[in-house]
Amino acid sequence: MATLDQKSPNVLLQSLCCRITGKSEAEVAHQFQYAVRVIGNNYAPTIERDEFLVSEKIKKELLKQRREADAALFSDLHRKLQTQGVLKHRWSVLYLMLSLSEDPRKPSSRAGNYSALFPQALPRDAHSTPFYCTRPQSLALGYGDRTTGLSASVGTSGISSLGVYTLNGPTPTPQSLLAGQPPQSAAGGGQLLGSRLAWALPVSSSPSSALAPPTTRPLLGPPVPCTRVVRPRRDGDATGEVSEAALVRDILYVFQGIDGKFIKMNAQDNCYKIDSKVVLCKSLRDTSSRLAELGWLHNKVRKYTDARSLDRAFGLVGQSFCASLHQELKEYYRLLSVLHSQLQVEDDQGVNMCTESNLTLRRLLVWMYDPKVRLKTLAALVDFCQGRKGGELASAVHAYGKTGDPQMRALVQHILCLVSHPILNFLYRWIYDGELEDTYHEFFVASDPNVKTDRLWHDKYSLRKSMIPSFITMDQARKVLLIGKSINFLHQVCHDRTPPSKITPASKSADTPKDAAELLSDLEGAFQEKIDTAYFDTSKYLLDVLNHNYLLLEHLQAMRRYLLLGQGDFIRHLMDLLKPELARPATTLYQHNLTGILETAVRATNAQFDNAEILKRLDVRLLEVSPGDTGWDVFSLDYHVDGPIATVFTRECMGHYLRVFNFLWRAKRMEYTLTDIWKGQMCNAKLLKTMPELSGVLHQCHILASEMVHFIHQMQYYITFEVLECSWDELWNKVQQAQDLDHIIAAHEVFLDTIISRCLLDNNSRSLLNQLRAIFDQIIEFQSAQDSLYRSALEELSLRLKYEEKKQQREEEGQWGVTAEQEAEEKKRIQEFQETIPKMRSQLRILTHFYQSIVQQFLVLLMTSSDESLRFLSFRLDFNEHYRAREPRLRASLGATRGRRLSNI
Amino acid sequence: MASAANANLNAVRETMDVLLEISRLLNTGLDMESLSICVRLCEQGINPEALSAVIKELRKASESLKASENSTN
Repeated sequence: MATLDQKSPNVLLQSLCCRITGKSEAEVAHQFQYAVRVIGNNYAPTIERDEFLVSEKIKKELLKQRREADAALFSDLHRKLQTQGVLKHRWSVLYLMLSLSEDPRKPSSRAGNYSALFPQALPRDAHSTPFYCTRPQSLALGYGDRTTGLSASVGTSGISSLGVYTLNGPTPTPQSLLAGQPPQSAAGGGQLLGSRLAWALPVSSSPSSALAPPTTRPLLGPPVPCTRVVRPRRDGDATGEVSEAALVRDILYVFQGIDGKFIKMNAQDNCYKIDSKVVLCKSLRDTSSRLAELGWLHNKVRKYTDARSLDRAFGLVGQSFCASLHQELKEYYRLLSVLHSQLQVEDDQGVNMCTESNLTLRRLLVWMYDPKVRLKTLAALVDFCQGRKGGELASAVHAYGKTGDPQMRALVQHILCLVSHPILNFLYRWIYDGELEDTYHEFFVASDPNVKTDRLWHDKYSLRKSMIPSFITMDQARKVLLIGKSINFLHQVCHDRTPPSKITPASKSADTPKDAAELLSDLEGAFQEKIDTAYFDTSKYLLDVLNHNYLLLEHLQAMRRYLLLGQGDFIRHLMDLLKPELARPATTLYQHNLTGILETAVRATNAQFDNAEILKRLDVRLLEVSPGDTGWDVFSLDYHVDGPIATVFTRECMGHYLRVFNFLWRAKRMEYTLTDIWKGQMCNAKLLKTMPELSGVLHQCHILASEMVHFIHQMQYYITFEVLECSWDELWNKVQQAQDLDHIIAAHEVFLDTIISRCLLDNNSRSLLNQLRAIFDQIIEFQSAQDSLYRSALEELSLRLKYEEKKQQREEEGQWGVTAEQEAEEKKRIQEFQETIPKMRSQLRILTHFYQSIVQQFLVLLMTSSDESLRFLSFRLDFNEHYRAREPRLRASLGATRGRRLSNI
Repeated sequence: MASAANANLNAVRETMDVLLEISRLLNTGLDMESLSICVRLCEQGINPEALSAVIKELRKASESLKASENSTN
């Protein structure tokens, strides 16, 4: 056993634990763990390794106890030890024994005496006095280092749990037995050591009174429970009152959230309270309870940081919040450690010296005022930030910075700097690199990983409204979202790999919290400027790429020229070429034939000079065929979009274009048809002059045709100038001035919406559109009616001419021109033809009537329309009040406005 | 160290005796076995401050354990 073999410290420690507690290895596991922790944490001794000093201290201690003979014996033994030279760390062993030494005469006063053991050593270095080291719970004060403080606090909890255990358990019986034993005995010594240690820990009054050895302290007053523990410090105090110095010492523990002897956590009221049994004058009681609030505040902050600092899901912002709280606590601990050392110095100097520079509760009250305000703010902050994370947390902290107190503002500002630092880091990563590394969803830009690249611009990224810190405005947040989105769009959709530094020359991210602080102090200025620069540069670059590499503007113009029939010669030629094809039933059409025709039309017109990239995308599309459709109903031009420009020309947009094209194509067809009608009339007018019986019918035809021409011309005027050109001009201006892609997309959408609604394609004007369709149908019908009329008329005409010719021929041959039989036949035929004329007339009359009633209805609807341009259209259509004269409803509504206008004149 | 101890078993024993005597003088409450463990620990460079804290704590714990056992009996 005496051999000094090299076992590992842990094994030795374990056997020590077993030995002292007298239990098996399994039972002491808890204590063993605690021991390993404490030993591990204090590996480097804080005292001087001086054997001589230690031995002198021991001698002094013995002399103090008036044991001169023992002191002489000790120096004898010490000399022996030195001569043997077996031990290398003699000072260490000696020091250990000194620490454990017990004054056999006054065991209960150990605490006070013990700390007085090192009068020289203590003032030497107030921050690393051995005093702290013998009481691990105060280690946090001894070391500035945060990690040490933390681990020590773990030790603290271990001790206090042990301490509570100690104190709750004992019953008076064994203690009185033990106390009765001679103080020199080892068991009694151990017992007393335990009670001595307990002074720094929560002590309930009953066991300590039971522990009080009967032999000592004749000065002890009536058994006021706690006085025993105070007594050793102020021996002269004969009353039962607790001295102020004891309270100060107590308070210093309470400041760290450790229960003192008198001041304890009251679980019911949730505050530190002085034990009601303690006799104490009122002023001291008041002062100490005011001071004790600090402990409560400290506990609150501490609890929050302890709970959160290990929670990884709390996120980076939360972690930096905890770190900043820790920083503040560290400052607080530093102050406490200074106070402790002050107290220590006083203890060492003894009772006599404590007059002027002594620590008093009043002094503490003054000194602790500022820390208290700070802690109060922190505690309020902690309360307010409960359950928040990320940007929300930063908002909460920022809200607390809006105070008039400059000190508080500085404190909160400092915390805010730390808290917002990760957010600003996210932000810079996002706006300069387009990268989103937000594992805990703290940043205010959210990304949806399910969205594919074709919808990247529209759907992938969104703002997380709750996470926008309050110091960043909504406008800034939107810009930030847009910047990063643009960069990602460039990378993923445009496959543009330009390094970000080329896009934004000023891309320097703020890496230190100091930069963040500067930015925060100047949110309106530098920060805004930074975001704005990045925004302008990135958006401009994106638009440049889209315009130059992907011809966005050219595509936009192509849409207008082809899908909105802007390229007149091409459309006209296409219609000429398509006419025979489209007149056939829709089921007999083939796309490839039509595509061929389209290409012919392109080559024959100015469209051939267009960019090949654009012409390549032009295509024919046949809509779904329903029975009875002709080619006209199903034909449609198409424009293929893909890649980056599909972000502007989305599927919905193309659907809108298709609808508008169909409408325009139909209107164009009407114009085309009417041109044909007019051509027929002009060609046939002279021929049919020889048939006076037809003049009435033809006149009717001409009237109806010109009515229709007028209508369609006005409609075409309206569509081309009022709708397309106006909207296009607006769009083009906006696109030229656009700062980012969103502006272009928005302008384009506005453009399409305007066209759709003005072309009567939206839901509100469905009835108008139906009337218009009916009018178009009437025109088609009229065309066929007029065609059949001309056909029969021309047939008749040719027959008559043939008859005359025959007659003339026979006359030249010298025969009779016609026989009576032939003449009768001719007359009968003419008669028959003339009989069909009234039928034609009535058919035309019906057509006219029907047409006019539809136009009138259309006009009525136009009049009641809310759109001004549509009302103007109605004036144009009925400029000479032709329809108004026929339609009483028109008269009412038109009269109302016109009558007023007349009266104005 | 171990070889030296083997060679001078006597010296070691004497040293331990001296230490035990000092321990008794100072009333540390350590018996022979615990003292020898402590010495060995100290020789390995363990911080004596921490060690003493541990020992005190352990004593307190065992004392409270004993006390609780007594109270339950």
